[in-house]
Amino acid sequence: MTRRATTSRRRFLQTGLAAGAAVAAPGRLTAQSAPPAAKTIRAVMHGDLTVLDPIWTTANMSAYHGAMLYDTLFGIDANLDTKPQMVSKWGASDDKKTWTFELRDGLKFSDGSAVTSEDVIASLKRWAARDGAGQHMMQRVADIAKKDDKTFQFILKEPYGYLVDALGKTSTPLCYIMRKKEAETNPMEKITAYVGSGPFIFNETETRQGVRYVYDRNPNYVPRAEPPSGLAGGKVAKVDRVMFENMADSQTALAALQAGEIDFYETPPVDLIGQLEGDGNLTLEVLNKTGNIGWLRMNFLHPPFNNVDARRAMLYLLDQEDFVKATFGNPKYYKKCPSNFGCGVPMENDANTGWFKEAPNPAKAKEFLQKSGYKGEPILLMQATNIDFMRNAADLVAGALRSIGANVQVASSDWGGVVNRRAVKAPPDQGGWNLFITWADGNAVSNPIALAGHAATGEKAWFGWPSDAKNEELRDKWALAGSLAEKQQIARELQENAWNFVPHVWLGQWVAPTARRKNLTGMLAVPGVVPFWNVQKA
Amino acid sequence: MLAFIIRRLFSTLLVMGLVGVFIFLLLHLSPGDPAAIIAGDNATPAQIEAIRTSLGLNDPLHLQFGRWAVRVLNGDLGISIFSNVPVATLIGQRVWPTLSLALTTIVLAVVLALTAGVLAAWKAGSLLDRLVMILSVVGFSVPVFVVGYLLIYLFAITLRWLPVQGYTPLAEGLWPWASHLVLPSLALGLAYVALIARITRTAMLDVLAEDYMRTARAKGVATGPMLFKHALKSAGVPIVTVVGIGIALLIGGVVITETVFNLPGIGRLVVDAISKRDYPIIQGVILLFSGVYVIINLLVDLSYTLLDPRIRY
Repeated sequence: MTRRATTSRRRFLQTGLAAGAAVAAPGRLTAQSAPPAAKTIRAVMHGDLTVLDPIWTTANMSAYHGAMLYDTLFGIDANLDTKPQMVSKWGASDDKKTWTFELRDGLKFSDGSAVTSEDVIASLKRWAARDGAGQHMMQRVADIAKKDDKTFQFILKEPYGYLVDALGKTSTPLCYIMRKKEAETNPMEKITAYVGSGPFIFNETETRQGVRYVYDRNPNYVPRAEPPSGLAGGKVAKVDRVMFENMADSQTALAALQAGEIDFYETPPVDLIGQLEGDGNLTLEVLNKTGNIGWLRMNFLHPPFNNVDARRAMLYLLDQEDFVKATFGNPKYYKKCPSNFGCGVPMENDANTGWFKEAPNPAKAKEFLQKSGYKGEPILLMQATNIDFMRNAADLVAGALRSIGANVQVASSDWGGVVNRRAVKAPPDQGGWNLFITWADGNAVSNPIALAGHAATGEKAWFGWPSDAKNEELRDKWALAGSLAEKQQIARELQENAWNFVPHVWLGQWVAPTARRKNLTGMLAVPGVVPFWNVQKA
Repeated sequence: MLAFIIRRLFSTLLVMGLVGVFIFLLLHLSPGDPAAIIAGDNATPAQIEAIRTSLGLNDPLHLQFGRWAVRVLNGDLGISIFSNVPVATLIGQRVWPTLSLALTTIVLAVVLALTAGVLAAWKAGSLLDRLVMILSVVGFSVPVFVVGYLLIYLFAITLRWLPVQGYTPLAEGLWPWASHLVLPSLALGLAYVALIARITRTAMLDVLAEDYMRTARAKGVATGPMLFKHALKSAGVPIVTVVGIGIALLIGGVVITETVFNLPGIGRLVVDAISKRDYPIIQGVILLFSGVYVIINLLVDLSYTLLDPRIRY
């Protein structure tokens, strides 16, 4: 008996040692030489990078990934002006129907091959097949032709003033330039090789999907001579490596930042901002000045919101202040905004905003709701309970509607459940819906073409399927406009019309400060992506 | 015995088959659309529909299940919808942190719990006994994530003794490896210690009251060997059963602990996959967990024969 027990212990020890060796082995196999900590930035971004093809998806994390390793023909600067990036010279013919672009000298992909017009043309075609603005542009494009290895031309059917802005926009997907061989991938399928001509190289060996994504400095990158500004100017990588760490828990990320285990945290929880402000080792800074805008979508296909009076009722019923205050607390980081294109952007205007001065006006909202023919039918409001703003906003919308006698049914689920159901066009009692809440990037909202939600093309439109012919005419007119003043005038007309037919209701605008260790300097402020070129670690 | 093992292994396959059917239906019939999540919030319905088609999600459910089942039977757990990486590769990349956490937690919990339980039974009614029982109640009542945050605040932020998060392979040094596992193991192990300590105390109290223990004491057997060699072995069957049950708790706890301490293990893999509706990963990991659970139960049943010679299969 005793002998058997002794043998067991030996076996246990042997097994334990073997398990220990097994646990150690993979690390030994994968451990590689890494740049020193002083030349490495560890960043926790707002989410996981799930798709590595930045053209295939509109997900912001994929756009961040793209900005690291790809470059763009044009980029917006800190003032939201479009500037040349990969392009050195460009110009239009007198009739504005032929645009010629020349690439900068010496542009190379990270594999050492030269960037040519063929790469650019293939990339433009794939991007345009996936992007709303690209599709709008291609309706006016007769051909994109190669002139020589460095020069290509857009041959247009009619003048199109939005052309250069579309190529440099930061709303997703951005127009990243890839090698021809990847750019010729079917736009409906994802690319499988990630080689760009941007300031960093994607290090697939060190990357662990869902854990961390590793980018090394691209020695072949040729930066512009101008100082960096937004996505324009010289994109000089000043560190050897950047790692996007996927940290699901915000408390853990915050603790890691305070302990110096990470250098940058894109979205610290808003309720802990006060605590961070008191930490002398950290800097808080708003990088995306246009921020985000809360968004209530109404379903145009079914009563009561197929009636414009019911939609007008929502304009008068809701006070934006309630929505942003409930989630973001500190007025330093939020504001009310009546403009259909957001505030703090070139298209901001105050056309047809009388409702904003009155809201909240429950009596008038009730009057409009009754005028719409509403007779107490259930209004199905989808609520994503796993996202603070969406959960709080849905509670507020439900409360406000009930206060004017509406019969609201809240369908709670996680965000995944909402994105599934919002695609259902059937009536609410057959799996459809009446209302849901989300938000949009402020810079995208400022652009009538780039934001899919600005389209009112009926069943082809974004969820809610608004329909308005005049809106579409004006959007086209905006895209064709040549000057900023002309665009701003058309944006006023668009807004005048929008607040008459009410495609949606905005729920307030907010910015979110990023948090970083004090020794990280040179971060660039730009909407849409977080650049890591120009950033130094002392 | 051999026939028993073969029967149990056969039933393991049956259980895993049922789990496979259940989890497939549960995932595909519950709300959530991976295509919509992949496409991003600015995508149009037409773009989402195109992605659904390219992923085969518009095919009838029985066809989708058939494709998946054939792959699994051929040893292929499928490919992640989002990353295009094989599920087996992803599990392989994530298994070591989970295994490290599970092993350290089990060792820590069993050593602490057995010692505490045996001592509590030996000194039943004393201050030590009450202290062990109070700590057990606390350990069992406080959620893992609360313990985790408290440990992080105390040992990582305030005292700066240990890292907040992450995992370092053992190959990079014993201390770097262990230092990243101390706090997660403590957080995860607390409930486990409570569970095993309580059952150990109860089982030991029964055994210590037996005549043969009185005889052992009368014959002058020292307290240590009497408690840990004779009594503990006799009390082993319920304790081993609870250790086995506890491994189910451990699997659930690993998911939360890996999230709180940012350990890149299988728990994190499945949590991320659930939020994205990455069906192949969820199905693969749950199949794996169910297999592990059934096999642990088999090992527990087999261990009874070692602890109690009267048990035969």
